[in-house]
Amino acid sequence: MATRALLAVISASPSRCFISSSRIKIQSSVSSLSLNFQQHSRKIHRIARSYSSDTDSSLLQPPDVSRLAETARISLTPAEIEECETKIRRVIDWFGQLQQVDVNSVEPAIRAEMDGGNLREDSPETFENRDSIRASIPSFEEAYLKVPKILNKE
Amino acid sequence: MSTTLFRTIQLNQFTLLGTTLFRRRSNVVSVRCCGSQTTTTTHEAKQSSQSRVAPKNHKSNKLDEILKDYEAVIGIETHVQLSTSTKAFCSCSNNYGSYPNTSICPVCMGLPGALPVLNSKVVEFGVRLGLALNCDLSLKSKFDRKQYFYPDLPKGYQISQFDIPIASGGYVDLDIPLEFGGGHRRFGITRVHMEEDAGKSIHSDTGDYSQVDLNRAGVPLLEIVSEPDMRSGVEAAEYACEMQRIARYLGVSNGNMQEGSLRCDVNISIRPIGQAEFGTKVEIKNLNAFSAISRAIDYEISRQALLYNQGKADQIVTETRLWEEGAQKTVTMRKKEGLADYRYFPEPDLPEVILTQEYVDSIRASLPELPEAKRRRYEAMGLSMQDVLFLANDVTVAEYFEAVIGKGAEVKLAANWIMGDIAAYLKNEKLSINDMKLTPQELAELIAAIKDGTISGKIGKEILFELLAKGGTVKGMIKEKDLVQITDPAEIEKMVIKVVSENPKQLEQYRSGKTKLQGYFAGQIMKMSKGKANPGLLNKILLEKLNAKE
Ligand SMILES: [Zn+2]
Repeated sequence: MATRALLAVISASPSRCFISSSRIKIQSSVSSLSLNFQQHSRKIHRIARSYSSDTDSSLLQPPDVSRLAETARISLTPAEIEECETKIRRVIDWFGQLQQVDVNSVEPAIRAEMDGGNLREDSPETFENRDSIRASIPSFEEAYLKVPKILNKE
Repeated sequence: MSTTLFRTIQLNQFTLLGTTLFRRRSNVVSVRCCGSQTTTTTHEAKQSSQSRVAPKNHKSNKLDEILKDYEAVIGIETHVQLSTSTKAFCSCSNNYGSYPNTSICPVCMGLPGALPVLNSKVVEFGVRLGLALNCDLSLKSKFDRKQYFYPDLPKGYQISQFDIPIASGGYVDLDIPLEFGGGHRRFGITRVHMEEDAGKSIHSDTGDYSQVDLNRAGVPLLEIVSEPDMRSGVEAAEYACEMQRIARYLGVSNGNMQEGSLRCDVNISIRPIGQAEFGTKVEIKNLNAFSAISRAIDYEISRQALLYNQGKADQIVTETRLWEEGAQKTVTMRKKEGLADYRYFPEPDLPEVILTQEYVDSIRASLPELPEAKRRRYEAMGLSMQDVLFLANDVTVAEYFEAVIGKGAEVKLAANWIMGDIAAYLKNEKLSINDMKLTPQELAELIAAIKDGTISGKIGKEILFELLAKGGTVKGMIKEKDLVQITDPAEIEKMVIKVVSENPKQLEQYRSGKTKLQGYFAGQIMKMSKGKANPGLLNKILLEKLNAKE
């Protein structure tokens, strides 16, 4: 959950300030960012911009962590906000660097290249360990997940 | 912190393509089952169209009045649940009505580390529907994450397609039934995209909790977004009907509205005629039947027009309203403050969806004849629009009809039998045409036997009901029951003479001017012949005898 929450935070963050930014994907973990950046830099060159970008890193605004936390439905203490802010700012800064990569001669792609043929046959299989999935649901009653009363989707 | 924390960061600038893209899920309140649609597939469209008009003629007049000053602008988002064997991204079975929370696995439960793998059938169905709706296909499309928080969405996001849908820029043609004014219409299709369904929430009236069943989480959907091309409740309902028809013709969905396999959300605004810009758009949800679509729109047009007329146009706000079937009105569900921020970004766990031209061509070649083409062909056969709409409405009925005429039956006669006694029988017995014991071959035989005079029309009907109930062959039944029509004038004359002589009183009355009594005599003679006398001959000979001056 923490993973997803932060992913959500990140995706929420720069969408406003990245207007007309290129499509960029990096794969990395927090602890080995620079290493991964190098590993993937060759690939990044192959991932093209869909639009030529006139954005430079100076336009990237610092993250509003409180708002991001709210969008991701997580509560953060002031100390956590401070901690996150530094980390997210680092991520945004990498994007600043990525903006500077010249990809004008590269053909645009909508996704990173992956090995093709990733489709599955439409034949059902029962997941054997369903009981343990259900057992791990915090509030499971009479065959249903029991959740706080829902009125609407806001 | 987890190592996957920053595993994928992908940003994308999406142009605002209009609020249709910023829609919310349609399964907000679990009152899907209260529609009043019929279960006999054969009559669905007919009955729902009848129920659309029946209760509110006076209201329509009021609506006509309103529509002199205002124009309604209507767009529809249709969610079609696909009849695949498995879910979209995992091998869990896609089976409506299974015991709650049994069709689950780490992928559809959103457990860490589980990876989605796309079901090939979903792509196939997407291409089929895209082609059927005359769309351009994206040979490369991709999936995106649409993020929102709701208990029936285990992952915290829905896998959908955002800026590059599998199909876009199409249209659909349909015929408005005569009772609603008739006419042919073409409505634009903005896009068709693939996505997954959420689980189902059940809200108890009592108690302070809701229940969630995740069997539906991850079930594949195709969302069809129309252009805002419709102008009335009838047009919108007919559009929705056509979506159901196309889904069923293609075999991509059962299109069942009660089960939620076909869900329609309507966007509607009105504007004074002549005004170029659109009015404020309101979304209507909870439309479980075609009749509900039509009535909800008509209600909403009246409501908004009234506000305009009262100078309170500012009270028409961007909001989601629910149709209340019981009260026959729409009510505010939630007001929208700005556009929802779903923070879409490309789904990192799935590769792009690549279609080859050969694949698309092979699907195109395998498409069945679609409703519009069928209607045009039936029309060219000389059938009336009412016949055309009835027969082409249900693909199983159309197939039956075509099998009957394939056996040589006359087109109009075949249509009449199917739409008349057979349809009534199926409706009474709650059967579908596929369950019927009367084969197309035998119906064709029956029609031929009447046409060539072997049996009378009356006997024909009797045989029809026997065959419907028990099966068997027309020839066998004619032989077994000695039902061959009597066409020998001498034999008929004998019966006429007998009946006339046995009823001297009636004969006298007839001859003194009460000529209606001819029917009485004819009935007696027909009875004597056990219904086998040729009616034309019978009446001709009877008249001769009755009018003969002695
Ligand atoms: Zn699953």
